[in-house]
Amino acid sequence: MKNTFMCMAIVAIALSACNNNTTEEKKTNDTTNSAATAAPVTGGSSVKDIVEHYLHIKNALTKDDGKEAANGGKALADVFAKFDQSSLTAEQKKTFTDIQADAKEHAEHISVNAEKIAHQREHFATLSKDVYDLVKTLGGGQTLYNDFCPMYNNNKGATWLSETKDIKNPYLGKTMPTCGTVKETIQ
Amino acid sequence: MRRAKKIGLLLLVIFIAIQFLQPARNKSGQVMPTDISRTVPVSPAVSALLKTGCYDCHSNNTNYPWYATVQPIGWIVNGHIQKGKAELNFSEFGSYTIRRQKSKLKSIANQVNDNSMPLASYTFIHKNAKLSKEDKALIIDWATQTNEAISTKQ
Repeated sequence: MKNTFMCMAIVAIALSACNNNTTEEKKTNDTTNSAATAAPVTGGSSVKDIVEHYLHIKNALTKDDGKEAANGGKALADVFAKFDQSSLTAEQKKTFTDIQADAKEHAEHISVNAEKIAHQREHFATLSKDVYDLVKTLGGGQTLYNDFCPMYNNNKGATWLSETKDIKNPYLGKTMPTCGTVKETIQ
Repeated sequence: MRRAKKIGLLLLVIFIAIQFLQPARNKSGQVMPTDISRTVPVSPAVSALLKTGCYDCHSNNTNYPWYATVQPIGWIVNGHIQKGKAELNFSEFGSYTIRRQKSKLKSIANQVNDNSMPLASYTFIHKNAKLSKEDKALIIDWATQTNEAISTKQ
């Protein structure tokens, strides 16, 4: 009985959210976003959602927390799959599709490898490049710092995005938390 | 005793019955236009290594062992092939986006380097799929160079 009620509630929210999209369009971007987070079944996701879950993974990795990184990976794969492309230009769409196919897969790998943090970090390195290109193309909706760790992967180095200016290294985690430099500030 | 006989007979009947449930064979018999060899340069040496070491699970052409025709082994083999192909399919490499192609090449180099591929359970049965140190270097160099070539092309 309780379940049936829940289902009906979700369907009701879904329907109302769809209506919102068609009638009010772009100006209500913010409200549709919050509706999407409240009821994950509905609506499309935005770059903001992608950045949020990416940072979730990043922050988990700085704490060597593979399980939490996996949770972030799952959420990220989800928002990549549901991304609302309606406001993108043809050129942006092309870039997005290219990034999406790749990034979603990295997010999925991060989500199923909670026990293998080294493997998660491998995927995180490529994912970081994808998300960087994404915010460069579509804007990140917040100030982000593109950081560089020269030591990771046998001194080949890797980059990551951070919401804070202070360095918290997701590749070396607790062993070398402050290794790295800010290479670029993305407004 | 009679009871044991009955159960044995039942199991035999089930075993025979499931032999008729053959999964579709993973054999296309042709080289697709999206095959990796038609997408990026692959030397004959690397190509041979990929074929013996990877193609059984990562292409549209599996070289089946005889026992794969026996169920339920065939189902298990089939499950591995489906999973492998979803992860990476050399027959459809050309249909991947550029970014994904690059990621796959990077993963190939990484996984061959840390011995996570080919799977130990696979090389245990397929001795010829085991990669020597030289084989590994060949694949890693090829994957790395091809990856870099794609980035400059774009």
